[in-house]
Amino acid sequence: MANMDLLQGLAEAEAGRVLALGKRMTIESGGVLFRLGDNADSLYLIARGCIRLTSPMQVRDREENVLVEEESAGRTVGWSALTPPYRFTLTATAPVETEVVELGREALNDYFTANPETGRAVAFNLASVIGQRLQIFQAMWLREVQRMVEQRYA
Amino acid sequence: MEMLLMGACLSTFALVVMCLAFGAATRGEEEWNAAPAPELKVAQPAVTTRFFVEPGELVVPLAARPRVPIEALLLQLEDHVRLEHAAAESYLAAPNAALLHTRTASRLVN
Repeated sequence: MANMDLLQGLAEAEAGRVLALGKRMTIESGGVLFRLGDNADSLYLIARGCIRLTSPMQVRDREENVLVEEESAGRTVGWSALTPPYRFTLTATAPVETEVVELGREALNDYFTANPETGRAVAFNLASVIGQRLQIFQAMWLREVQRMVEQRYA
Repeated sequence: MEMLLMGACLSTFALVVMCLAFGAATRGEEEWNAAPAPELKVAQPAVTTRFFVEPGELVVPLAARPRVPIEALLLQLEDHVRLEHAAAESYLAAPNAALLHTRTASRLVN
């Protein structure tokens, strides 16, 4: 519980109260947690297992869901639930049996309104999660552009 | 006297024949030398070349490239994403230009 990225810095009891807002779900191996374009009303903390985030890509004459990133226990997925327009931009599946805690946006908003210190800590953690992923994809994108320049304009 | 005249005629005839033979032989050699060299066939590359491509660089037509089965291609894509993700994480741990552009072992781009 303490190693969940969204709950970093919270006291154990307070982290427990936030987790109690949600419900535990088990996704069978190969199951879908959410799909690209779905309404994003909840985010998910991975308690056990792994989540694959994929995006559709045209590969030859077929549309395939291609891996974008993988997240393991302790990580948060589905933060589109906290950023407008509240639609998932990737599809999430479980390659192995996986357990997540589903936290609804409205329940979190209500709790953070009543507990602003907790809300502030979680908001900072969320900013860190989003910022770190932005930096990773920024670096990946720069590497691809560098390769493109080397291949086309060397 | 008649013998002398006959000898002179034969000598003159022989001289004319020799001149004609020499001339013919000389003309034939000159014509051989002046003849255009036979056209050498230039070996054509087995594959097409393209404008803006270095002369020594051959462009393999798409149809000639080995066609990787789609399942293998998808696995290569996944490996590529994982390797790039790991490279990006290494870069973020200690950002510098050298780490940002480290070479990848990904088969998708090599």
